[in-house]
This record gives sequence, structure tokens and C-alpha cells, in this order.
Amino acid sequence: MGPGARRRRGRDTVVTMTDFILAGVVLALLLLSAAKSRPKTKKALKIGAKQFWNVLPFFVAVFGLIGLLEVLMTPNMVQAWLGSGSGLLAPLYAAVFGGMATGPPAAVFPLGKYLLTQHASVAAVATLLIAWVAVGTVTLPAEIRFFGSRFALSRWALAFVLSIALGLTMGVLM
Amino acid sequence: MRKLATWSKQNWLVWVVASAYLAMMLTRPTDGARAAILSAKTFVELIVTLLSVFVFVGLFQVWVNDEFIMKHLGEQSGFKGLTLGAGLGTVLHGPLIGVFPLLQALLAKGARLGVVIAIVSTWAIKLPMIPLEVKLFGWKFALMRNGLLFVSAFIMAPLMEWWLGTGWVESFRGVSGEE
Repeated sequence: MGPGARRRRGRDTVVTMTDFILAGVVLALLLLSAAKSRPKTKKALKIGAKQFWNVLPFFVAVFGLIGLLEVLMTPNMVQAWLGSGSGLLAPLYAAVFGGMATGPPAAVFPLGKYLLTQHASVAAVATLLIAWVAVGTVTLPAEIRFFGSRFALSRWALAFVLSIALGLTMGVLM
Repeated sequence: MRKLATWSKQNWLVWVVASAYLAMMLTRPTDGARAAILSAKTFVELIVTLLSVFVFVGLFQVWVNDEFIMKHLGEQSGFKGLTLGAGLGTVLHGPLIGVFPLLQALLAKGARLGVVIAIVSTWAIKLPMIPLEVKLFGWKFALMRNGLLFVSAFIMAPLMEWWLGTGWVESFRGVSGEE
């Protein structure tokens, strides 16, 4: 922990130019959409608002988790578990943890960023980002019901291995 | 009551984090308060990006139509079908479980197994989320991660088609009762 970690985060606390460019582009699209069809645009806003509302609790939880981790976990601990020093184990842990997650995809990005600033390896963070969405350990029973165990288990295993393989590749390339 | 149970199942993390905070407030109130402030800061940093992203998601779902997509993913679609499937995986939204019914419908309507695999392979690419990823990790990281995932769809699809064989997909034709 220590003041260093906090200061580093403190510097990040800005809404950047990229945000306004993105907001501007979306606003332009929204106006274009409204010009073409008012009802469709209304529906789009409704869908967006509904989805945002649905994931908001999870977002709040993830942000809460980040705050907790920041206070409780030392950079040394992150490094020991997910740092480059733990070699192959770091992406493996990340894949197991990510695979168990059921959160909205967007929630993992701030978490990954936080871990990265705490010296987790790129391989581990990249693995986490992929496994979080693509592995789906918790939804495996549902997948078996839909597609049978042969399909579900092989897809699950392949996604697990792939998330680690791609994570490691990212680690080498970055 | 039932609604609360479903909500809790989807948002289990809320309860875990809430209990953790409660425990913190009781045992180490200063650290608990600091954690809460740090959380709020993270939230403020990202709220503009998040709002933009979800407006985009809504616009996308309204303006891109399903029939067109379904038409181009058949057995004869070849490389183009795979590419389209991989592309589709990047823009569909939500957790993996939400897409299972759609995938089953695609198989029932005669979509190629590889297309379905391509969709789930690129599921970890979220096109509307790329601005968020770029903001947090930079262009290089985002482009590489998404590029690698996209390419991997073309490895996963033939691999799973070979592994499951042609017989597997036959049992899914027409099962969802649409024909």
C-alpha cells in the first residue's frame, strides 16, 4: 500500500479529451438517428438506459471492490500472485478467477487497469480480460442444457486455454 | 421475492462487496472510508465514457437488423460466414449466457457450426467497449488484444468443427420449433 500507490491513482483522476471526443461522436450519431427516425431513437435511448441500469449495481460493486483492494492489498501481494515473477501461474490464476466471473464485460476493464498499476503482469491482465467474458464457468450448466456436454465442455476448455495462450502472447508482444 | 433472488444471483458481487464494507466499517472505519472514497473517484472518472457507451449500444440494437444477419451465416457461407460470425460476436452485448438462445436459433435455421463458434470466440471483443479499453490501456494494448482474439476465431471454428464432426450439428437442425 503506502502513499505512493495512492498518489499514482490520484493523478489518473481526470476526465480526458478522449471522453469528450467519444461523447461528441455518440451525440452526433444520436442526432443523426433522431433526424432519421424519432421513435427509433427513443427506443434506442430506452434500450441503452435499461442496459445501463441493469449493469449499474455490478459496476458500483466492482468500483467498491477496487477501493477495497486498494486499501487492503499491497502492490507486493498483487505482484506475488499476478506479477511477471510468478511466470505461468499468474495467467493461470487470472484465467481461473476470470472464468468464474459473471459480471458485465465493461466492468473488468477498470479492474484490469487497477491490477496493472499494481504491477500485475500484462499477460495476467490480458488473460483476465479475455477469460472474464469468454470462458463462462458459472454459465457452463446452462450451456450444457442448450448444446450438450460434448460441445459445452470442449468449448469451455478451449476458451480457458485460449485465454491463457493469448494472454501470454500479449505479455511477449507488449 | 423471486425478483430479488434473481437480481441477487446476477449481482452477487454487490452483496459480497457490501458485506466486506460492513466488516471494514466495524473493524477498521478509517480504511473503510478511504476505500469508499477511492471507489467513488473511480466511478466519476469513468461515468462519461460509460454513458456514451450505453447510448451507442442502444443505437446499434435499433438500427442493425436481425434478418440481414441471419441470412448470411449459412453452411455455404464459407470464409465470409466465419468473418461475419466473428464480427457479430464483437457487437452483440451482454454475458455469454444471453446469446445461447440466439446461437441455438442460428443452428436450427441452418447456420454453420463454425459460425456459431466464431461468434463465441470473439465474444470477449466488445466493439462498443473499445473506447473504454483504449482509455484505460492505450491503443497498442487494445488493438493487439482485440486483433489476436479476432484471429483466434478462425482457429477455433475449424478446430471445433473437426472435433464435433458433421453429425453433431444435424441434431440441432430445426429443433427450436421455428420450422
